[in-house]
Amino acid sequence: MELQELIINMGPQHPSTHGVLYLQLKLNGEVVLDCQPHIGYLHRSIEKIAENRSLTQFIAFTDRLDYMASMNNNLGFCLAAEKLLGITAPPRAQYIRVIVAELNRIASHLLAISTFAQDLGAYATPLFYALRDREKILQIFDQLCGQRLTYNYLRVGGVSGDIPVGVDLLIKDFISYERRMLAEYQDLLTGNIIFCVRSKKIGILPKELAINYGVTGTSLRASGVKWDLRKDEPYLAYDKFDFNIPTGQNGDSFDRYYVRMVEMEESLKIIEQALGALPEGDPVAKVNKVFRPTGETYMRTENPRGELGFYIVGDGNPFPYRLKVRSPSFSNLSVISHLVKGLNISDLVCVLGSLDIVMGEIDR
Amino acid sequence: MLSKINDIVAGFISILKGLAVTGKNMLKKPVTIQYPFEKPVMTEKFRGLVDLYPEKCIACSQCVKICPTAALDLTATTNPETKKRFLGAFSYNGELCCFCGLCQEVCPTAAMYLNKCYEVAYYKHGDLTKIDLLKADKYQHLTPPKVKGLKK
Repeated sequence: MELQELIINMGPQHPSTHGVLYLQLKLNGEVVLDCQPHIGYLHRSIEKIAENRSLTQFIAFTDRLDYMASMNNNLGFCLAAEKLLGITAPPRAQYIRVIVAELNRIASHLLAISTFAQDLGAYATPLFYALRDREKILQIFDQLCGQRLTYNYLRVGGVSGDIPVGVDLLIKDFISYERRMLAEYQDLLTGNIIFCVRSKKIGILPKELAINYGVTGTSLRASGVKWDLRKDEPYLAYDKFDFNIPTGQNGDSFDRYYVRMVEMEESLKIIEQALGALPEGDPVAKVNKVFRPTGETYMRTENPRGELGFYIVGDGNPFPYRLKVRSPSFSNLSVISHLVKGLNISDLVCVLGSLDIVMGEIDR
Repeated sequence: MLSKINDIVAGFISILKGLAVTGKNMLKKPVTIQYPFEKPVMTEKFRGLVDLYPEKCIACSQCVKICPTAALDLTATTNPETKKRFLGAFSYNGELCCFCGLCQEVCPTAAMYLNKCYEVAYYKHGDLTKIDLLKADKYQHLTPPKVKGLKK
């Protein structure tokens, strides 16, 4: 057959992305020859906005970066601000932060694996089961801080409110419930032969390529690199907990899915330990009302999607002079053109789903 | 040939496994509620639209300063005799508001609070942009029309 190149625009909207992404595909029939992601459709200039907001005000904007894991974004920014200002959060706040960050990691991974399954054709069933479980986490957060998606719960120097009475019981219930449900998902998805055939050996990401492109998080660990900031560069109280870092062997789409699956179980372990050892005391440190940051700092934390870094420069004014967000999805998406060459369009959707990108933090 | 038959059998078993999970869930109670016939109960800390107790407000304008999206606007007037500040006007732009709850947090007299209103759809442009917080019936126009068969 004669090679015929056809350029197709996939997007700017596609249900397999959480946001607006435009992929320019060069096709030969069904086979993808080249794939070029174009971004910028969700740009809100959040980094520029940060230059006109105080540190306390900007926490509300970090919610809107990676809106699937707002707590983790709050955490990353608050830790960066605390590092710059030389504040340490009290132990109780640190444990509460660990609990909410891990709960949000589970919520984010649940959505990632279920939308991934939906991309592979498991229409609605796993998605609805996962949303049902995610709802339980959202209800916990609703009682904790009053919102279900844009939490704005953490503050520079602690958290905005202590855990209300009864919520710790809810979290305990959720842990035992989610353990049962994860076993069910293993039956439903990991044991499903159609799911395995569709995702195994698709979009193999080699170790070297992943490191060269700055791919982090579950996508890097699926390629066999044991790199998790919670273990390798512990922040908060993560060095006190006992948990494993799951890694994959092949770096294909299935491994990326499976690492997330195991990571949720590890997160449940962390929450259980943190809840058991929750120290007494004030959940917020005594801090000034107005922060005047001076100097510069970079702080990175492990988001559900990878390494989220905040670089803040202050010049003594209440507003930061410059703020840069290093978002994990941006690096994870940039590798896609290497992964999809020679695959079918349906497999491209599989790779895109397994990378689990959120456009809100790519475009910022 | 043999591997193909194996694949078919394995595929059949995995479908049965999946159906077993579906079957288990089919007998459970539904987790959804029949909105708008059933209304969800908001939690104690729920952050809805900004509301104000005008009698408590001391016009310190801390909420205006902390608001990340500049949704609040306050005019304070001073009594020339007693030198006491009191509230002149207080407007709120619900379209700009990001429901972060910072105003509620900084208020020294707990005059500002976020109410439990979650149905913030409105019928014409401007319904939510200029809300006079001093009025008692400021959110009256947001109340949706009565739905037939609505349970309380």
